[in-house]
Amino acid sequence: MPILDFLLPKNEKKQKVVLLGSGALSIGQAGEFDYSGSQAVKALEEEGLEVIIINPNIASVQTNKGLNKKVYLYPITPFWVEKIIKIEWPAAIISSFGGQTSLNCVIELSKKGILDKYNVKVLGTQVNALEMSENRDLFAKKMKSISAPIAKSHAVSTVDEALKTAEKIGYPVITRSAFALGGLGSGLARTATELRKLTQAALMSSPQLLIEKSLHGWKEIEYEVMRDKTGNTITICNMENFDPMGIHTGDSIVIAPCQTINNVENNMLRDTSIKIAQNLGIVGECNVQYALNPRDYSFYVIEINARLSRSSALASKATGYPIAYIAAKIVIGFDLLELKNPVTGTTSAFYEPSLDYVTLKVPRWDLNKFSGVSKNLGTQMKSVGEVMAIGRNFCEVVQKALRMVNENEDGITANVFKDASDEILERELLIPTNLRIFAIYEAFRRGKTLKYVYEETKIDYWFLSHVLYLANVEMELLDFFKPKVKRDNVTVQEIYDSYKMITKEKLQRLKSRGFSDFQLTKIYLSACLDSKIKLTIREMRSLSFGVRKLRKKLRILPVVKQIDTTSSEYPTKSNYLYLTYDGMCSDDVSTKKNEKSIITLGSGSYRIGSSLEFDWCSVMTSSYFKNKKNDSVIINCNPETVSTDYSASDRLYFEELSFERVLDIVDIENPKGVIACMGGQNPNNLIQPLSEARVNILGHDQKSVDKAEDREKFSAMLDKLGIDQPEWISAISIADIEKFIKKVKFPVLIRPSFVLSGTLMNVANDQESLDYYLSLTKNISTDFPVVISKFILDAKEIECDGIAKNGEVILSLISEHIENAGVHSGDATMVFPAQKIYVHTINIIRDIVREIAKDLNLNGPFNIQFIAKDNDVKVIECNARASRSFPFISKVSGINLVELACKVMNGEKIKKILIDESEIPYVGVKASMFSFQRLDGADPVVGVEMASTGEVGCLGKRFNHALLLSMESTQIKRPKKGILLSTGREKDKVKFMEVMDSLYKLSVPIYATKGSAKYLGSRGYEVNAVHWNRCPRAIDVITDGKVDFVININKSLSVDELHNNSEIRKIAVKCGCSILTNLEKVIAYLRACDSYEELQNIETCISL
Amino acid sequence: MLGECEVSKKKEILTKEYKKAYLKLSNGMKFEGSSIGANVNVSGEMVFNTGMLGYSEAMTDPSYLGQILVFSFCLIGNYGIPYFKNKNFFMSKGHESSSIKTQGIIVSDIYDGYHHHDSGISLENWMKDQGVPGIAGIDTRYLVQIIRDNGNLFGRIISKNATQQNKNKFKFLKNFGNSEYVDPSKYNLMPSVSTTKKMIMGNGSKKIVVIDCGAKWNILRMLVERNCEVELLPWDSDFSEVKCDGWLISNGPGDPKNTDDLVERIKKHVLASGKPVLGICLGHQLLSLASGAKTKRLNHGHRSHNQPVFSIPDKKAYMTSQNHRYAVEKSSIQSGWELWFENANDDSVEGIKHKTKPFMSVQFHPEASSGPNDTSWIMNKFVGLL
Repeated sequence: MPILDFLLPKNEKKQKVVLLGSGALSIGQAGEFDYSGSQAVKALEEEGLEVIIINPNIASVQTNKGLNKKVYLYPITPFWVEKIIKIEWPAAIISSFGGQTSLNCVIELSKKGILDKYNVKVLGTQVNALEMSENRDLFAKKMKSISAPIAKSHAVSTVDEALKTAEKIGYPVITRSAFALGGLGSGLARTATELRKLTQAALMSSPQLLIEKSLHGWKEIEYEVMRDKTGNTITICNMENFDPMGIHTGDSIVIAPCQTINNVENNMLRDTSIKIAQNLGIVGECNVQYALNPRDYSFYVIEINARLSRSSALASKATGYPIAYIAAKIVIGFDLLELKNPVTGTTSAFYEPSLDYVTLKVPRWDLNKFSGVSKNLGTQMKSVGEVMAIGRNFCEVVQKALRMVNENEDGITANVFKDASDEILERELLIPTNLRIFAIYEAFRRGKTLKYVYEETKIDYWFLSHVLYLANVEMELLDFFKPKVKRDNVTVQEIYDSYKMITKEKLQRLKSRGFSDFQLTKIYLSACLDSKIKLTIREMRSLSFGVRKLRKKLRILPVVKQIDTTSSEYPTKSNYLYLTYDGMCSDDVSTKKNEKSIITLGSGSYRIGSSLEFDWCSVMTSSYFKNKKNDSVIINCNPETVSTDYSASDRLYFEELSFERVLDIVDIENPKGVIACMGGQNPNNLIQPLSEARVNILGHDQKSVDKAEDREKFSAMLDKLGIDQPEWISAISIADIEKFIKKVKFPVLIRPSFVLSGTLMNVANDQESLDYYLSLTKNISTDFPVVISKFILDAKEIECDGIAKNGEVILSLISEHIENAGVHSGDATMVFPAQKIYVHTINIIRDIVREIAKDLNLNGPFNIQFIAKDNDVKVIECNARASRSFPFISKVSGINLVELACKVMNGEKIKKILIDESEIPYVGVKASMFSFQRLDGADPVVGVEMASTGEVGCLGKRFNHALLLSMESTQIKRPKKGILLSTGREKDKVKFMEVMDSLYKLSVPIYATKGSAKYLGSRGYEVNAVHWNRCPRAIDVITDGKVDFVININKSLSVDELHNNSEIRKIAVKCGCSILTNLEKVIAYLRACDSYEELQNIETCISL
Repeated sequence: MLGECEVSKKKEILTKEYKKAYLKLSNGMKFEGSSIGANVNVSGEMVFNTGMLGYSEAMTDPSYLGQILVFSFCLIGNYGIPYFKNKNFFMSKGHESSSIKTQGIIVSDIYDGYHHHDSGISLENWMKDQGVPGIAGIDTRYLVQIIRDNGNLFGRIISKNATQQNKNKFKFLKNFGNSEYVDPSKYNLMPSVSTTKKMIMGNGSKKIVVIDCGAKWNILRMLVERNCEVELLPWDSDFSEVKCDGWLISNGPGDPKNTDDLVERIKKHVLASGKPVLGICLGHQLLSLASGAKTKRLNHGHRSHNQPVFSIPDKKAYMTSQNHRYAVEKSSIQSGWELWFENANDDSVEGIKHKTKPFMSVQFHPEASSGPNDTSWIMNKFVGLL
């Protein structure tokens, strides 16, 4: 038996293995761990093990209920893991599939002797090796002992030590912190002053720092290594950063396999990777990062991750080799020779995939969502998601990837810097931001030379010359089409005829270099159309049919290629596919079933507002149809997801979620229908154009979606039905706004017409803030109306998730927010079943839901949001699609909403489901995770703009228990050192008195800002007053480490007030304090703290 | 397809005209692409390599003689050709012999710049210098599948106004005309790739004779690095007079049975000497034949950097670089000999050794170049036996 002895069944009972997840998604630790964890679960279950999952991330696929699986939605801390170990008595624990969070937890459990106490073995790489990879000093010593070169560096634990070290090795230096994910606390220091600033902050959250010589301009290269217990070792994939050293690899554009290194360099680094894995005793997977000198063959080992990582997920998707699945088999005892390569099914898993394509990862940043955040990229990761493009040349993948990541169909030709001055452009090149690739493109458009751009960016010539090529092609096309006189109208036929002129061969070449029909149309328009005429995306899409028709006529069609790990050396039945124009013939892709396929559109890149939860919905949809007669097809381009695991569907197209590409795939598949309502707003936006192109959309009719999304139509419908809504107007002039405000009074909510996660949404409390926010938007006009609505204070926000069939509600479930209306629903803390709503209110809501569903003729999943004050209920919005809360509601209620929706969309028979929510044996609390600590300069305050990067959902017998668990899971830790209070408005101060006793019971020193201290004093609570400008200063009690918990409530939503306390909040975040800024959440939390001991003392834990 | 010179002229797609070239296959198929390298018509056996790097090493590997090499990886030429300014570049890194040995190459996309610190010429210009043609713009994945599924496939690279290949370049070329498909393994290719005169490299206490059947330079480099005196002998030398501490029978092109009396002479002089012997690739096949084993022709062979092999005694697995079409038949291994390595994908024979005498041979390339260095320990083991 290849499986380890102690994992074999005992007395015919399956052995249990604990698998730790990574918790809520945050910057630096995202969906990739759901992917690796889910693969591991599959691998372990196959070998007859029972898997105990501990992970509070309720929207993950790995926390689904399973036959051989128990799921605990608990914080990943030694306390809770020990408690669960005590309940389950597992034989072993696995540390390597839940990122840094799980790794740190296992190291701590081992150090505390808990694992020994319960005789729980660590599977895979052992703790001493994990520590060696994490402790930079130990790591440096180990590397030296095996003569693997490392950059001169020194572990320091004080600022003075840091300065001395830097003096020795010479500036510029970079700092890295030990035991941190995503390069937290890392940075570049050119001077002693910069270094002092950097280390002061970093040492707050990490006891140890590493000071290294800066390797700016060196190539950054990674290897993914797999080693089994017998010592057999392979490197699955290598990857090269487009951006040289200096930008965190998570924020870098990355190509796999490496493109600019030669055979000697490759094998030099490969040999070193294998040597490191051998000497550290890795069992499973590890990742080694290198800096490679572009001028000679010297290199340094930068770091290793002795676990699955973001890069290993990317490498899996880039190669097709299921790294996590194989790694899981290895940690339970298999060796590589015993395993088969799952893609071929016949060849050995001891194999290094050979690719006959290239992949490019581009990160997605949402830096616009955080006011005050620097857009500069450095050694600290800032991106919130990523996409990967697959193609057969660099031009093709860079174009695809840039379209995938921004979904504007423009890609690299988006003209981001068209109007920028040369100075701005030069600065962009020199000081990289998230937009640098566009600046490079624009520089070439302006005739800058390769050498110039290389000198500014140090990006390898090979990459740059391809960008130059694309810029030149655009200029060439503009030149070719340049008319004598610009026109004010262009027809589809004209576009057809014009591109016909450039010949089939050349059009084919343009397509093979990644130009979309939309881009070609846009280039033609910018050459020929009067620049005064602005066309909408919709109009340009219709015009692009000129190119599409011509292409189809000329038989210029994309071909389907398989990802098979062997470059066709062996025949495979791989269902992992991509499309390319750089090919002549499609692979022979088998379709297994006789029924027509159903295509599910995934969510694309994770971003603020669309994350793991929509991947869960997509995976559930696809699995539903995979288990049915239909061929289940997924289209998605996000390498971090479970949906892009080829085993999640019958066929996976790792492709753009663009109108053009989805149509291409529809042409190839001729499906029964396309499901676009499960991947969030991104695919939902395709319903209109796809319907118009006569693609069969399953679920809601396009008209229903349009009616729900179009504010005017939706509002008219509510009026017709007599359903209340906050007053609003779509203003096309300032006069409109003034008139409206006169009527409804401040505060008002301002937002532009198309909203995703509240982009540019703001609440104006007075004229001053209104003027300020309006100055941030485009000039108001009929083309750019601004929607202004009455903002209702002190109202509850309530959501209803449900499924309807032909306008009849099949199921509706109601949840409430802890925060009052005004906090974006994606940031709010959600409670299900609702605990504090009047039954009367619930009845009103159910009535409204029925009426809306009927009038919209909903036929699939939906989510309706309400605000309620007393029993006065108003509708805010209706999403005719699956919502963010679907996994949470499904798992707490035990009813899988997605499955129900699939039944409806597939036209299956289904009965109305009546559920008594009060019968649900526990309460679920969904809380949001913020990543402010990684976003230097961001104000960690919640509002109408969504800012959270992830979420958790925890269960409790009591609301308080669930809340405490979900808070702990989102890094709101019970105060141990002290609390700093700032309690907001007079009204809030009064309200806050409710929980002063709870606060005192925490028995830690309480500090309060002047006004709050005075108020508390007057009510008989003596607290330490702190000041803004004189001692003792508020800032100092934070930086001196006297407090570890900051409660900071805004006085109002006006601009000034928001800025007043922001310094305190920013410093609190930087120093790793827990921080709460919403009064209702603070009150709920402090009340719950009364139950803290009770919760800790409960012997049992709730499992799914 | 771009290079700095073209780019500066802004001739990318619309105004750039590509010179067409065609690949005709012996199964009747025809592919159109653009001509790269020298404008010469050639004929050869169709083979593919799935390695993603190491095109200069592959193209100069004498084992590819007479073959048209298809690179399955889509982007070739990215890092140019290793340092080349000095014509006297004997044994310089990145090259495995003094000239390109493939008849031609087929790629999807070729990069015509050279920015790598260790390169001195672009791939295309190097091919022009060496008179070797190629075709770019071919769907190499599709072509690989055709070669894989057809087994014996031969091809011709043809373009307009092309000159005919210089027949003096390699001796075997004299065997065939200009417009026919050719199976090079029908001919004895040794005279085309072996040195014509004895050469001595390195110095050390131990002397190794390398029988040159088209030896890759890295074999020689590794022996010299391991402090051996290396005597490179022409394949048709008289071995009876040779005095040495050990023999290495090198890699090379073609069918091991098509090597005149080489197998007989190995049996008679090399094995009879009782000195340590290492056979590599073709050398492994020759040694096996000399031991009495049989060889067979595989469908399309192994040509890649990721052939998984494991050693039979300890189940240790290694990633290897390979380039061969012929293999030893497992059932034919003679008593006295044992299977040493096996392929983890298709169970084919990857190495044999004598049970008592210091004779051993491997089908893969312990000298790698290009490809992984996992099995370089075999060179140490061999040198250690001397």
